[in-house]
Amino acid sequence: MKRLAGGLLIAAVTLALPAVLDDSSLAVYILLGLAAMVTVGVSLLMGYAGQVSLGQGAFYAIGAYTAALLALNGVPPLIGLIAAPVAAAAFALVIGTPLLRLRGHHLAFATLAMQLILLSLAGQLDVTGGDIGLQAIPQFGIGSFEAGSASAYAYLTWAGLALVMLVTHNVITSRPGRALRALATSETAAASAGIPVGRYKLVVFALSAAFAGLAGGIYCFYTGYVAPGSFPVLISIQYIVMAVVGGLGTIWGAVVGATAITLLVQGLDRVASLPGMPSYAPSVLSYAVYALVLILVVLFLPRGLLPTFTRARWRLFSGRRADLEYK
Amino acid sequence: MLTVTGISRSFGGVYAVGDVSLSVADGEVCGVIGPNGAGKSTLFNLITGHLPADRGEITFLGRRVERLPPHRRARLGMSIVFQGARVFRGMTVRENVMVGMHSRTRAGFVAAALRLPRHRADEREIAREADLALDRVGLAEWADRAADQLPIGQQRALQLARALCARPRLLLLDEPASGLRGGERERLAALVEELRASGLTILLIEHDVAFVTRLADRVVVLDLGRVIADGSPAEIRADPLVLAAYLGQAS
Repeated sequence: MKRLAGGLLIAAVTLALPAVLDDSSLAVYILLGLAAMVTVGVSLLMGYAGQVSLGQGAFYAIGAYTAALLALNGVPPLIGLIAAPVAAAAFALVIGTPLLRLRGHHLAFATLAMQLILLSLAGQLDVTGGDIGLQAIPQFGIGSFEAGSASAYAYLTWAGLALVMLVTHNVITSRPGRALRALATSETAAASAGIPVGRYKLVVFALSAAFAGLAGGIYCFYTGYVAPGSFPVLISIQYIVMAVVGGLGTIWGAVVGATAITLLVQGLDRVASLPGMPSYAPSVLSYAVYALVLILVVLFLPRGLLPTFTRARWRLFSGRRADLEYK
Repeated sequence: MLTVTGISRSFGGVYAVGDVSLSVADGEVCGVIGPNGAGKSTLFNLITGHLPADRGEITFLGRRVERLPPHRRARLGMSIVFQGARVFRGMTVRENVMVGMHSRTRAGFVAAALRLPRHRADEREIAREADLALDRVGLAEWADRAADQLPIGQQRALQLARALCARPRLLLLDEPASGLRGGERERLAALVEELRASGLTILLIEHDVAFVTRLADRVVVLDLGRVIADGSPAEIRADPLVLAAYLGQAS
């Protein structure tokens, strides 16, 4: 009952916000929702299944380029938006087959390298528009309805996020979800319980890529252009920071982390663009902040923001040992 | 049920297991003992599929399995209790046991994401079987606790419940008594005796000779990667080769 009320409250606020925010705040709201969508995938991959990816930005880019190319070639935007996560997941299945044999740092670097290679390809190829990228992408629309306003994109984004969270929740609390959580602890023990470890790792990698691809698809329609510069390695790192700050292995933590980091970076951008600040200040500040926030959270809140707060509340109000319970 | 024929595995030219043959009959409790470094763990990993064999055959329920990966062998009916804690972290005791049902259910990612009828039917069956298995090992009241917070004896019982949840044809126990204190060891032995009485086929690999000779119908003794004796517990206790192997290590 309490959960239902909480859910309704969050839904109401989410739906009301686009109506009251101005356009520049709406832009932040949309980018926050898109980042949260990718971060839910990171949390699923890292927090639940124990696999690392420093290349989620690549799947975001694949989704964006896929939707953009289709839309520019006259394909209805809805088809493009559906194709975006499918293309990202398909690419993840292909690249994941060799990559997921690696573990830990090796896997992290391999996924990072994948993103660098894709970005340089996108910057070289004619079909992706080279360094200039693709421009004049049509607006998103279904049939005669066209999403012309920022608030329409806000609803699209947060509906996408809700879908991604629902799918993640359903997967986690089920047979395949328990299998993923099991293989995160011990692949040997998981295999001996009959779990095809390699296949499950591949599927969860593809699922997290699909989430990023969907976010990328919405992004390309919203901004109207995509270029390699839109997907720097920094955004992949940003997703990791968001997931860790919010709390790995929690679905809502991904949203909390994405919100905290997005608002923090927005505030810093304002500081960095004050008169007298050098032109490189924004990027230097955001790199520094990611590093600093990551170190502080890992040192002082290793479980992340959300689990830390829910545990504190749990202890205050019930007097029970929260660390003995997972549910 | 299980027949191992001439299986070998070497590491860097040294045979950890050399030309070992053994068989486990239906309903039998077969113990494998041997001093440290005898090749017990290697043999165990060869049978479960976590280590590929250099040579030899393994037949399980009439099927050749030596080339199958571990999860396929599990699906055929091999369940394992590992040495040391292999409890899945971040999951409750019940969820840990539910993983054991993986090999007997089919609902995949799509069924789970869309909450299809197959998912619901599987979840009901998984929960029921998990509760049965928890009851069987006496962990029912701990079901909603975090699995990694349990004392080691109960973690071993939890692993046993997970293995039983798969309704195995053959239960493999790798040094189940290691790290357990007297009382915990006694409870585990009683559990294994109950399982034996219920007709379950068990392969028990263990360093503790007394533990094995008490529970096993037949004992295979390994030393330096080879079988040096195979017989009833009484015969094994009287075998001069076995005594030499254990005494030789002690001196």
